[in-house]
Amino acid sequence: MANSLPSSVKVSPPPIEMERPALVENNRSIGWISDTVAGVIENKTPGWWKITIGLSMLVSLGLPIGLIYLISTGVGVWGLNHPVAWGWAIVNFVWWIGIGHAGTLISAILFLLRQKWRTSINRASEAMTIFAVMCAGIFPAVHVGRIWFDWWLFPLPNANSIWPQFRSPLLWDVFAVSTYFTVSVLFWYMGLIPDLATMRDRFRKVASKVIEPAAKFRNKIAQFLYGLFSLGWTGSNRHWRNYEKAYLLLAGLSTPLVLSVHSIVSFDFAVSQLPGWHTTIFPPYFVAGAVFGGFAMVMTLMIPLVSLYKGLDEIVTVRHLEVMSKVILVTGSIVGYAYGMEFFIAYYGGNPYELYAFKNRAFGDMNWSYWWMISCNVLAPQFFWFKWCRTTPWFIWVICGFVNIGMWMERFVIVVTSLHNDFMPGNWGYYSPSWVDMMTYFGTFGFFMTLFLLFCRLLPLIAISEVKGVTPQADPHHPMGGAKH
Amino acid sequence: MNNSKDSTIKQNNGPRHWRSLGHKADTPEFRAFVEKEFPSGVDLIDDPVSRRNFMKIMSASFALAGLGVTGCRRPEHKILPFSKMPENYVHGAPQYFATSMPTRQSAVPLVVKSYDGRPIKIEGNNEFPGGNGGTDQYAQASVLSLYDPDRGLNFKLAEDGKLNVIAKGKVLEQLSGLAHGKTHVLMEQSSSPSRARLVADLKGKGVRFYEYEPIDFSVHADAASIAFGSSVKPIYKFEKAKAILSLDCDFLATEEAAFQNIRDFSAGRRVKDDHTQNPSEVMNRLYAVEGLLSLTGTNSDHRLRIPTGSIIRVAALFLKEALEVSNTQTDGFVDELKDFVGDLNEDFPNSHALEKEGKSDITKWIKECVSDLVRLSSEGKKTLVVAGYRQPKEVHLAAMAMNSLLGNVGETLLLQPIEPNGNGSIEDLASNFKKDDNLVVLGGDPAYNAPADIDWSGIIEKSNKFIRHGFYNVDGTSKKATAYIPAAHYLESWGDARTNDGVLVPVQPLIAPLFGGLTELEVLARISGADEVDPYKITRATFEGIAGEGEAKWSKFLHDGFLADSASETLIEEFDGEAAMAEWRKNAKKVKVPSRGNLEVTFYRDHSVDDGRWGNNGWLLETPNPVTRIAWDNVLLVSLKTAKDLLGEADSKKLLDFEKVDGKDFDPKNMDLPGRFGFHSESGRFYQKVFKLKVGDREIEGPIWLLPGMADDVVGVALGYGRGVGRVGGAKGPLNERTGGGGFSAFEARTTDTQHAASEAVLSDTGSKYEVACTQEQGVMDGRPVVREANADDFDSHKDFVKHFDLDSVHHTTHLVKGDDRGYPWEKDQELKLVKASDEDLPASQYRNNFGDDKVNGPKLMDVERQQWGMVIDLTTCVGCNACVVACQSENNIPIVGKHQVALGREMSWISIHRYFSGDEHNPQINYQGVSCQHCEDAPCETVCPVNATVHDEEGLNLMAYNRCVGTRYCSNNCPYKVRRFNYYDYNRRPMGVEDGERKPGRFFNDDNNLNNSPLHPSNKSSNGEWELIRWYKDPSRGSVPGLDDGKKESGEFDPEWDLIKLSKNPDVTVRMRGVMEKCTYCVQRIQSAKIDQKTKIKDSVSKLDKTAKIAALDVPDGTIIPACQQACPADGVSFGDVSDPSSEVYRLKRQNRNYSVLGFLDTRPRTTYLAKLRNPNTSMPDYFDIPNSVTEYNDKAHADIFDSKKDKTNGKEAAH
Repeated sequence: MANSLPSSVKVSPPPIEMERPALVENNRSIGWISDTVAGVIENKTPGWWKITIGLSMLVSLGLPIGLIYLISTGVGVWGLNHPVAWGWAIVNFVWWIGIGHAGTLISAILFLLRQKWRTSINRASEAMTIFAVMCAGIFPAVHVGRIWFDWWLFPLPNANSIWPQFRSPLLWDVFAVSTYFTVSVLFWYMGLIPDLATMRDRFRKVASKVIEPAAKFRNKIAQFLYGLFSLGWTGSNRHWRNYEKAYLLLAGLSTPLVLSVHSIVSFDFAVSQLPGWHTTIFPPYFVAGAVFGGFAMVMTLMIPLVSLYKGLDEIVTVRHLEVMSKVILVTGSIVGYAYGMEFFIAYYGGNPYELYAFKNRAFGDMNWSYWWMISCNVLAPQFFWFKWCRTTPWFIWVICGFVNIGMWMERFVIVVTSLHNDFMPGNWGYYSPSWVDMMTYFGTFGFFMTLFLLFCRLLPLIAISEVKGVTPQADPHHPMGGAKH
Repeated sequence: MNNSKDSTIKQNNGPRHWRSLGHKADTPEFRAFVEKEFPSGVDLIDDPVSRRNFMKIMSASFALAGLGVTGCRRPEHKILPFSKMPENYVHGAPQYFATSMPTRQSAVPLVVKSYDGRPIKIEGNNEFPGGNGGTDQYAQASVLSLYDPDRGLNFKLAEDGKLNVIAKGKVLEQLSGLAHGKTHVLMEQSSSPSRARLVADLKGKGVRFYEYEPIDFSVHADAASIAFGSSVKPIYKFEKAKAILSLDCDFLATEEAAFQNIRDFSAGRRVKDDHTQNPSEVMNRLYAVEGLLSLTGTNSDHRLRIPTGSIIRVAALFLKEALEVSNTQTDGFVDELKDFVGDLNEDFPNSHALEKEGKSDITKWIKECVSDLVRLSSEGKKTLVVAGYRQPKEVHLAAMAMNSLLGNVGETLLLQPIEPNGNGSIEDLASNFKKDDNLVVLGGDPAYNAPADIDWSGIIEKSNKFIRHGFYNVDGTSKKATAYIPAAHYLESWGDARTNDGVLVPVQPLIAPLFGGLTELEVLARISGADEVDPYKITRATFEGIAGEGEAKWSKFLHDGFLADSASETLIEEFDGEAAMAEWRKNAKKVKVPSRGNLEVTFYRDHSVDDGRWGNNGWLLETPNPVTRIAWDNVLLVSLKTAKDLLGEADSKKLLDFEKVDGKDFDPKNMDLPGRFGFHSESGRFYQKVFKLKVGDREIEGPIWLLPGMADDVVGVALGYGRGVGRVGGAKGPLNERTGGGGFSAFEARTTDTQHAASEAVLSDTGSKYEVACTQEQGVMDGRPVVREANADDFDSHKDFVKHFDLDSVHHTTHLVKGDDRGYPWEKDQELKLVKASDEDLPASQYRNNFGDDKVNGPKLMDVERQQWGMVIDLTTCVGCNACVVACQSENNIPIVGKHQVALGREMSWISIHRYFSGDEHNPQINYQGVSCQHCEDAPCETVCPVNATVHDEEGLNLMAYNRCVGTRYCSNNCPYKVRRFNYYDYNRRPMGVEDGERKPGRFFNDDNNLNNSPLHPSNKSSNGEWELIRWYKDPSRGSVPGLDDGKKESGEFDPEWDLIKLSKNPDVTVRMRGVMEKCTYCVQRIQSAKIDQKTKIKDSVSKLDKTAKIAALDVPDGTIIPACQQACPADGVSFGDVSDPSSEVYRLKRQNRNYSVLGFLDTRPRTTYLAKLRNPNTSMPDYFDIPNSVTEYNDKAHADIFDSKKDKTNGKEAAH
């Protein structure tokens, strides 16, 4: 490519081994990018999509069944007991919230850090964030004993002048999660506007060409809806200027949320005084764990998607996967360090109750969960030290699956093993989930996948405008429009 | 609606009551009038026990009593209120009436709290001579049986082999028509003088009487009568005894009047003030020899495990030693005894605990024990030897002989003359009963609990008329009757009784019989054809025969609840050695030593259901057995060795994680999981193997349970389960087909010869499993000093031992008491001025509290202007009897949740009594600790509640606002004591024992979380077959339980469940719905009512006082507020009061050296603190431990050295590490 530079520009090319792989492979044109991404929406619905969404919707039925049974009957339908008053619901909540974090990290922090590779994956990960937070939000809302009084957690003026208790981490959760959700939705929607306008324009073009009335009507509707939500975007310079400023501001606003939400979620535990919960390492450890689990989920979703939609593998390349694998390796190691440090402090702190709690995790009745956690979260990512492992999509996918399991186990270990054997041996008990717990959890999977598949089908799952901006062709000095990179 | 009303009235065959002749006629005019007059209440007009109607009846009877007007249902008599109540009825104010609960041969004197005429809470009569207001768990729970929906509601006559509801008069005709000469009456035992009078009268007319009690305590009196040559019964005075030897006598739990024994025993064990007293001089000492691990055994200082049948050999050895020591001439009897004893050490190896490696030495154990008793006796102190009801007369004679040798007769062993009643036994009935005789059965349930070799159905078949007077019409006995008479509950009855020490007490009704039942007295009077059948008049006549006539005397009797000085004088009789020796020589039998193929079965009285009489009482069924911590079922108890023999090493591990005990492949210092005596569960549930127990040719099946401390090769089986009566505990059928609890009937394996113990039993695996609901999985403290204990002889040199455990600093336990916050209490004793703490004296908390913020010194812990509530629990006196648990349940409307929910770990009891084993897995030491909300000053639960539902008040109470609770359960997670309880389901609303619209006793919520639990599920029907959702839609306040006017059973009877549940609730306490967290409140309702009383009392006198004095006048005097647990505690182990008042009892106790906070290092500053447990072992016994086992565990675990001066560091466990 170096010899294609115009002779007037004297740029000595970097050594060939230093050259970064292109973000969009095969030197594709800008038009090709639009066609490929929009093609996912415009083309005929693929068969696998129909099958998958059917399955997802079937699985998601578990959610209403589980919840109606729960609400009509009582929290007793879950496997909770005394002393384990929090079980799968809270585990799932923390797990889903954690998954959301990767999206925000990719879209906000990587944006601020000018990581151009984020553009191919940010849209899908943000969508994942929103859907994950929706799944997460279900659990704290329904896990309470009297669901119909959930609104008491909000500071609403009332005749009794009773306010929520601002010292409770659960209340902080309410604010943290709702803020996080709101900002994430806004951020995502902001980013969608130029692409929605692209879709509007493309459908207008198609609609004017087709004659078959049903197809014409469909295209008109699509055009109208995309048009409605693109808020009159024309792509004028003024629009772009305002857009980019707003995007930057929202990125700045989201950045602290990446850190705060999971820190606050970790306060649910850290602020209590239960051995195994009461530790100051939780906020950074939870954030690292969230990024870790979130990236794993991004790859879990993206790898099959990219191989199923033709052409997307040229936009989401092995380079992207490799970078994300590295993030997983780093955050996985942070999490591993935190596990080790917890044990060290339990030993070094000289509190026998704390020491017991950690021994109990590793060797007690529920040690299986601990060793699942260690294997999945600490050992599995170590494969990513090897280049082959980082660059082989199916292998990455398998490892990411383990990480997802491991992160769920981590929350289970924290929530349940700490509770089941706490201070006074006379109170000790055990916990097993009921089928309702499981059904509700798997239902959220179905719910999540349904939303995600709808997203893929209906919205541009890659930020078209942003990807275009990072192609060489976007550089005005490039022979085909701009300079390299 | 009104149309359906008509049909309802016509169909309802229940008791009918009429308000006027018009109503009786049920004319359309009358109905129209009623509808006009009571438009919204018309549906209640035919509703015999709805609250409104009930109020009407009750207030009517109050108004009319004494005017000579009789009520519609039965003559009403004025019952005199207890001294606490105002003379006139005040709506909403509780009234207290003295009465008593009759038991087998005695009675429990009571004061019953009644709201609007409804008895709702049983309390002991603390005016009773020597009483402290304590009761047992049975008495506490008895009020629930009054509201038992399964009790007989109607008089019935058999037609075509089926009992049909019939008018009362027709059934009564049957009674008066009995031919006296052909009538046999089988009764339970009773101490009632009125009954004795009627029985004597009827005997004169030719009626024959028999008594049967499946658990019979008469052996005490029988043996005493032989030993002392006249008809006497022994009365044991435990409080005077410095040392007590129990020969299989579970006097703290399963003997008659155990609550009195607990009171006396604890009184003799209490260290009132450990600043001035030396515990080893004050405390009594308990030696126990037993085969089961009984409550008495767990509270003993020294315990010997000997199979029940072989205790006679131990008794013989004791007697021999005692005779030898006292140099009594016995003409060779000593040698006979020696031969009789044989080699105990060889037959019963490992029968007591050992501090170091070695073999147990029973001979030495007994020698040292006897020499201790003799030493005390020579010092002029009294001791006591008692034998249990399970033991034969000979053992009792040996015990009496020892008491005589030790000089205890007339001191700790009193003899009270009794009149033998001459009633026959059930065997006599079987042999006397002839074809076409009439049988009358009063109470009991012989069809269920008669010895298996009595042909009960044969007797029934021979009978002409079989009239049954009983509490249930659905039990085995009633079902076969030709006429059924519902029995009145004792709270509905007039009667009398004598307590264990012979004092005459009244049985007064608190309420007219809800369903018109008769008392035993009335039935007997009707059989005799007497003119006077009114039990009130009968009782009064008896009373006047004893105390003389006069209204004042009678009134005082009813008012006080006892007749002072009515007990017969105790006698001092000489021990008749010759007679006792003759009896021994004649009857003493040696039982073969049990072995693997020849197990011994010991039957025992159950803590919850007794002999089955409380088998449908949910409070008792759900109260875990104090020793096994199992609720809802009985099990086959075996020791570790027996389990290993039965199952092999590997399988027996599935009962108990004992591989961790031996420490062979487990280093307890590093790998302490899951701890010794962790009971093995499968995912937290106990699915126990079901074993077949073959005794002779009789077989029973039950789940096996490993209980450390049982004698080897002994199987312990609780009686009283499997009666199959009622919707609560009446589950029947093979164990593997049901999950509702209720256990199995051990009576089926029990014959006249093997009433208490049977030998040559065999256990074999049936291959099936049964779930047992055990409420405590972890049996040991695992080195955690939650219960802190010391030997009494160490205490003087280590008065501060309690402060050196765990991570506590001194402040953690002494912060409450002024002057003690900066040093040890005993250092401050001299300078401590007993003045009310002022603001400056109080320590500052480092955490913010909700009240009393001081900008300079930080927030204050106490608002000194208000009284500050706190509690002290004395672990030395607590014996773990469960009375407080049931009392709390009764006072605070705590629902029962059913076996399945208990198995899941969702029991609701606000107090749980934790039981911890420590030391040797064969001969463990045991500790009990009652844990309820500790009312922390820095309460961890409060800061985490997002909705402010749990908050602190100015008086230091940790409050729960149930209405505000949304149920996040975060408070429970953050509670280090895990004392909060969550309503996982609507426990108060759902029908009892109903599933799929069918009665399935014991089923409250399904065993697996299947959709049937949901009221939405169409198959989930109420007992009348109506879909729950429809029912809820029609009447949301009713729950899913059918009431009186619907849900008729086949026989046309109504189902009163829902109405009775409502009647039984304490109106002072909120009934919690599902999704709400609840916990101990220190009985805040009692605190508030005492404060209101105080305000009322001082209202006129404070106007002239200044502000400070006014505030001081508001203080409720110490001892006025008694929470339900303290009230019920027979051991006086609980104290409650104002901790900021230096003159209060609770303040005094908190200043004791032994006072500590559990988990004090967390600095939650609990208001409930504990007085450490003291053991009083004898240093020369072979099972003497330098320090209690739990402290050894703690020392090992924490690398600590509590009681350092006594620890031999060169050997034992220290050297090993």
